Amino acid sequence: MMKKNSEVLVIGAGLSGLMAAAKAVAQGRKVMLVANGMGALGLSSGCIDLWGYQVDQPDKVCTNPLEEIAKLVQRQPSHPYGRLLEILPESLDFFLQLCQQNKIPYVKKESNWQLPTALGTLRPTYLVPESMAVPDLDEIKGILVVGFQALKDFYPEVLITNLQKNAQLAPNCQLSSVLVNLNRQELNANTLAHLLEKPTTIEQVLSQIKPHLTSEMVVLFPPVLGEQRSVDKIFCEQLGCPVFEVTNIPPALPGQRLQRALLKHLKNQGVEVIMGCQVTAAQVADKSCQGVVAEGSGKKLEISAQTIVLATGSFLGGGLVSSMGEIREGIFNLPLYTSSDKWSRRDFLSLAGQPFNEFGVVVNEHLQPLDEQGEIVLENVLITGANLAGCNYPIEKCGNGVALASGYKAGKLAGEV
Amino acid sequence: MTAETVQVVVIGGGATGTGILRDLALRGISAILVEQGDLAHGTSSRFHGLLHSGARYAVKDKEAARECLEENMILRRIAPNCVENIGGLFVQLPEDDPAYAEQWLVACAEAGIKTEEMDLQELRRNTPILNAQVTRAFKVPDCAVDGFRVLWSNVNSARRHGARLLTYHRVIGIRQSNGQVIGVELVNELTGEKKYIACDMIINAAGAWAGEVAALAGLEINVIKDKGTLVAYNHRLTKQIVNRLRPPGDGDIFVPHGTITIFGTTSVTVNDAACTKPGDSEVAELIKTGQDMIPELENYRLIRAFAGVRPLYQEGNSAGGRDVTRNFALLDHQEKDGLQGFISIVGGKFTTFRLMAEKTVDLAAKRLGVTAACRTAEEPLAAPVDPALLERGKRVFGVPGAKKAADRLGDSFAKVVEEAERNPDQRKIFCECEVVSLAEIAHVAQDGDSFTLGDIRRKTRMGMGTCQGTFCSYRTLGALSGYPQFAGNHKDYLTKFLQKRWKGIRPVMWGQQLREAQLSSAIYCSLFGLERMK
Repeated sequence: MMKKNSEVLVIGAGLSGLMAAAKAVAQGRKVMLVANGMGALGLSSGCIDLWGYQVDQPDKVCTNPLEEIAKLVQRQPSHPYGRLLEILPESLDFFLQLCQQNKIPYVKKESNWQLPTALGTLRPTYLVPESMAVPDLDEIKGILVVGFQALKDFYPEVLITNLQKNAQLAPNCQLSSVLVNLNRQELNANTLAHLLEKPTTIEQVLSQIKPHLTSEMVVLFPPVLGEQRSVDKIFCEQLGCPVFEVTNIPPALPGQRLQRALLKHLKNQGVEVIMGCQVTAAQVADKSCQGVVAEGSGKKLEISAQTIVLATGSFLGGGLVSSMGEIREGIFNLPLYTSSDKWSRRDFLSLAGQPFNEFGVVVNEHLQPLDEQGEIVLENVLITGANLAGCNYPIEKCGNGVALASGYKAGKLAGEV
Repeated sequence: MTAETVQVVVIGGGATGTGILRDLALRGISAILVEQGDLAHGTSSRFHGLLHSGARYAVKDKEAARECLEENMILRRIAPNCVENIGGLFVQLPEDDPAYAEQWLVACAEAGIKTEEMDLQELRRNTPILNAQVTRAFKVPDCAVDGFRVLWSNVNSARRHGARLLTYHRVIGIRQSNGQVIGVELVNELTGEKKYIACDMIINAAGAWAGEVAALAGLEINVIKDKGTLVAYNHRLTKQIVNRLRPPGDGDIFVPHGTITIFGTTSVTVNDAACTKPGDSEVAELIKTGQDMIPELENYRLIRAFAGVRPLYQEGNSAGGRDVTRNFALLDHQEKDGLQGFISIVGGKFTTFRLMAEKTVDLAAKRLGVTAACRTAEEPLAAPVDPALLERGKRVFGVPGAKKAADRLGDSFAKVVEEAERNPDQRKIFCECEVVSLAEIAHVAQDGDSFTLGDIRRKTRMGMGTCQGTFCSYRTLGALSGYPQFAGNHKDYLTKFLQKRWKGIRPVMWGQQLREAQLSSAIYCSLFGLERMK
């Protein structure tokens, strides 16, 4: 068995793990990151949702998510933001700088963005990649939605029909669509995004879009404008009008691009990144974890570290595992908060959220795991992202926000040790 | 209110009702079938999909066993696209009474059901998933049957002979004049529009709802509503159907079916025929019992749970006619209650639906003075697929896709292949789990009887696989937005479809299925904000 030693070990390559590693290495620590899969970041919108709706009126969008989160924390101190409120502004700044530095700029406004989705709904979000930063819809004179005949996951007509019901559009806003034909039978988002990096394909697409363009139009695409690099700027320049990607079902490229860029950044900073490796055992004694065993692709590693950041996610990410009647945290078997006997609600779309989304580990202000009595279970293990209990991100619109802030805080705490 | 006239109105779009419609049409009797929901939304799609060989009933009811065997053979012949002839096993465990096996063997022999004892070593080699302690195992001629397909094949065959179908039409009144039925009042459940159909005869084949329908005519029928819960696994656990060799009870039948396995069932009396909520405790109990036969059962991935309500006819109120067996009852309300032109057919089982229809239509024909004989046992339900057409299908949909589509679509397969040949865009596979193409979805969406995503699901199996519609429902919505009947309220279509899928996922929400549920909630709430959509 190969032995490795690190000051900080991050388990998981989703947003919280990447942030933790980035912050810890920025503080001069020796950092290692191991991850089994790609996590849920690549399945997400790629935007950083902080908080979407008003605490008192959950059907009304909140304009200033930071103020709303302060209100939430007073009302519901057990929410993960209860441990993150103070660090939130600096973590957002750190993220913005990190993205700027790695050439995937994110933009923010003073208030929430209200961005169109492929379903024609609007979703409130806070930090968005430039390629998704659609200006306020009520100021747009015309929208052209571009779909691709071979892409079965995007339908301009669905977007247009529902956008008219869900958004405040300018009174004379022209909505139209075009279905680009690339002479392919079937393409998934990744293959299409890869194709769209080729000048010949771009030319093909441009020539089919141009006849439908009128002046002062905004063009909306599915989130496929480039796989390795964003090509939205090329389209902007060639078409002479703003071009944006909208949120869609996975696979979606903006989340994948963020993940790729951050992983690349970590490697450049000297973080040892080992993907495809699952942590299978942990050596625990005296409320402390000395190291873990990680296995994958025929390798077996014994990794010791001073601080371990648990960023393995919820069920989707693989951090929590369940069997009939039982839920476990997969590595340390940490005590879990399960808010209710019922794991789910009768209504799929209940505004109260599905209980299983809130299951996770309860932590103190240092993100250390606690047991039911409030005692620290492991001193040197820090919990982040979807591993944290008490957050119903699909309804609250705060998944990447909690991941970003908790990852940053864990990285900072680990760096200070 | 619109009005039309027909000889017979059949109430209930289950196996029996559609079988009756076909039988009437083949005998030249003009008929219309009215159904309150989509075809097969009730018990006929909410069972294990077992086409009985009769072996399960051999000890308790020899006549029922014989009927099953005969009907099993008929359905294999007339509807090969609906039946998977995979054979069945009866296995005995150490805790099962050995004397019962002997009794069962004699009863099967008497009913004419072929049984063949299997070498236990061979059994362990072929079906290693089974409990190694199995003491005896026998092969029987059980088959798997697709309820949706049988029903639509019945209706399509009936339509070729002039019959009609009205789905989403609920009966709200039965008009009578001088002790004779004269017509049926209906309401369109989708539009609220009312409709009247004048007729000479009504056949009540409403299954679990038969009592409610009879009550509209002022009659009383006592139907016991017996709910059975079943679960679906995401792959074929065994090659053959597996029954437990003991007196019929809960959790003792596994039926491999297409890409999945259905395991059931339980038995709980309920008050409401629409009560199809699978109970959490029933699911837990089922799995516990099933572990006797398949010890590792808890570790296999479940897709969903569902429940159906068996309509059991309570003896005693029966007219007790000679044609009536102990398993289904044909009620001639002219003799029984003095109401002319009203017949009820209650009880029975899916396997014997054709026979039930034959007996019912024999009586109806006698009353109507029609002498034509029953032809449903001879006429194929759908023409066999031309091998050349299947080859063309393989070129556009791939090998497994073409075979599945041919079986599902029956006579419409040719049209769908032609469309995909003409338009390569239509070859896209929308539902990867069940290999359903856009061409098939588009065809079904325009067939005149599809009003919801659920209707399309029942005809194509779109959304019935592992992802339970998370991806394909959104795609289907998109593809259908071009058709006027689906262009309207996307929120409503999507929400209703996802909610119905949710109902079945919840009782089995652990392991990979909980992960899938979290993905679904992330997509529709986090990414799309469907919960707050206008």
